[in-house]
Amino acid sequence: MAVNRRKVGALVCALLATAAAASVAAASHTSTPGVSKNKIVIGGTFPLTGFASAYKTIPAAEAAYYAYVNAHGGVFHRKITDIILDDQYDPSQTVPQTTKLVEQNHVFAVVGSLGTAPILSTWNYLNKNKVPQVLVATGDAYWGNCVHHGCQGSTKPWTLGWQPDYPSEAKLYAHYILAHKASAKIGVLYQNDAYGKNYLAGLKTGLGSHAGQIVDAESYNFGDSAQVIAAHVVKLRAVGADTFVIFATPTATIQSLVARTLIGWSPLTFVNNVSANRVFELAAAKSGANLDGIISTGYVASQTLQPNLPGMKLAKQIIHTYQPALDQDFAAGDLNLVYGLASAWTFVDALKHAGKNLTRAGLMKALRHMNEPKNPFVYPGISIKTSAKRTFPMEQLVMTKWSGGASGDWHPFGKIVNVGH
Amino acid sequence: MKRRLPALVSLLAVCGVLAALPFLLGNYNVSLAARVGIYFIAVLGLNILTGYTGQISIGHGAFMAVGGYTTAVMSRDHHTSLILTMLLAFAICFVLGLLVGLPALRLSGVYLALATFAFAVSVPQLPLKWSKFLGGRDGVQTSRTVSHTWLYGAAWTASATLFVLAWLILRGRVGRAFRAVRDSEIAAVASGIELPVYKTLAFGISAAYAGVAGSLFVLATNGFAAPDEFGVVLSLQLLVGAAVAGLGSLWGVLAGAVFVGLLPTVSSSVPVIGSNHGRDVVFGAAVVLVMLLLPGGFAGLLARLRRFAGA
Repeated sequence: MAVNRRKVGALVCALLATAAAASVAAASHTSTPGVSKNKIVIGGTFPLTGFASAYKTIPAAEAAYYAYVNAHGGVFHRKITDIILDDQYDPSQTVPQTTKLVEQNHVFAVVGSLGTAPILSTWNYLNKNKVPQVLVATGDAYWGNCVHHGCQGSTKPWTLGWQPDYPSEAKLYAHYILAHKASAKIGVLYQNDAYGKNYLAGLKTGLGSHAGQIVDAESYNFGDSAQVIAAHVVKLRAVGADTFVIFATPTATIQSLVARTLIGWSPLTFVNNVSANRVFELAAAKSGANLDGIISTGYVASQTLQPNLPGMKLAKQIIHTYQPALDQDFAAGDLNLVYGLASAWTFVDALKHAGKNLTRAGLMKALRHMNEPKNPFVYPGISIKTSAKRTFPMEQLVMTKWSGGASGDWHPFGKIVNVGH
Repeated sequence: MKRRLPALVSLLAVCGVLAALPFLLGNYNVSLAARVGIYFIAVLGLNILTGYTGQISIGHGAFMAVGGYTTAVMSRDHHTSLILTMLLAFAICFVLGLLVGLPALRLSGVYLALATFAFAVSVPQLPLKWSKFLGGRDGVQTSRTVSHTWLYGAAWTASATLFVLAWLILRGRVGRAFRAVRDSEIAAVASGIELPVYKTLAFGISAAYAGVAGSLFVLATNGFAAPDEFGVVLSLQLLVGAAVAGLGSLWGVLAGAVFVGLLPTVSSSVPVIGSNHGRDVVFGAAVVLVMLLLPGGFAGLLARLRRFAGA
């Protein structure tokens, strides 16, 4: 009996001690969270493991760019610390990880977090607490549309996108079809969620009165097997489509490109930008896909096609110095690395414009008044701009076409196109 | 009475610590403690089914999904009080549990586990099927979100209530019937226990608990319900929690809940050299260690300590 009571006492003491230690650890922060005389702490959530982990080179490149900036004196003598947390693309993990960033790591801002559902699960929380949630790595139109219009109950002025939005991109493909193949019978394969549906809606808007030329739109669910994807491709061919538009995520895109070749189908084909990353197409080619002539779009510079751009030379040097393990990936043409560098460049640029007395409101003001004509990692000529009215930072794209077969690349053609809202 | 005293003292001590925690912990740690409370409810429910009645389920993540979507949809469409949606989740999942329990009458062991596994795999697909109503992959957002402290209070109040309820159920006739079913179905039938009634009842109660946990789980995710949150891994985590707790004991549940509620978060900051998989490695290693060192879970450890103290 006595032993028991002592045991319980010890247990209680241990628990209390742990609790006290934890609360002391959590209690130190300055006026602007995450900012001190010589340090800026930021963070983001990414799928480092799990089914979407192909994107993990984005935060790696961002970290490399911050390391490069730090090695060159930082921003106003402040070094950037970037805390990268894994959420496996699962909102129920994004939330505690983001809470941890804000309430335990006391980050200044949440920068570059990836994925539509993860952002949707945290934007109410971050906007309520006035924590910047910026340069999110997803092209849904919410991030631009919900700055002034209420979404899920309130406006979201603390959330900002970066890349061109999906519906605008889809409109470009529509315009191309109308200009070059006016009588096209269009077959669409799209992912069954807002991502795929936003693309499809953009395509219909772009086609306008010709939307009836979409003879079939097949949807697949994220994670469907190659057989399921192939069955959709076969169906699109069977209904007589002569133009094939793929609004999918990389794995499904690769599978549908392979299926397209295997059934001997060669329609005019479009692949959306998310899947138009050379490493993915090389993987498709390895499985037998014939890729020549496929059309897509781009907005970052290409390290494989434009190696002599100053920005691409710098990119190569930064990756080599700070993420040498990714040298090979960079050489193979992984555009996500360039994406990460470009996004981090924008953030550092905004920090500079926000000035010495860094505050969260100051950062948002800088990000809402950007004028970046020359981000060295973005496709030359494409600029990043924001204003009180303009809430989509990037509104330009360049069309690209695959040529060179199994060791080919995405070659830009034509002028840079404005897709303004 | 004398026999019960230690249990009562430790129960009061645990309650006292839980009541004091929000004042001692930082805001972020309160959110973690709330998360433990949510897992406590789910693991407790699973323990009633698997530990006391001997029916294995790898499908409790699906019941959590149903509970979670109940809260999210009711709040989105009707601004229903969140507490009320929890009760609703309890009721809906109870009925659903009874229905899912029906196959359990014919299946047992591995086959039952597989059937519930199929349930866990298929339920998160439903929001994709009815994406207008259930939000598809972009999820459903509640009309109201709650603070960490609110969540902590709600989670542990629900935990305490459901713990007492479980204790009341298990100490009496129903509990004896559950244990008899677990130990030998034939002997149970021979003693006049109606197998179909008690098996489905265990499923119902257990699912209702998971429903409440799911409801709170969505509130802990800033009121955002999406299919990716309720993957198969969640169901497996609950089973791990129940095993760590020790099957067939209420006291170990707290340890099991702490294990699955905190370890993944804590271990994600453990650096494992050259790997992003630190969390999975640490979690896996911890599971193996616990199973090796404490085959009876924490409940087994407690029993051994008690014997040791008594000797």
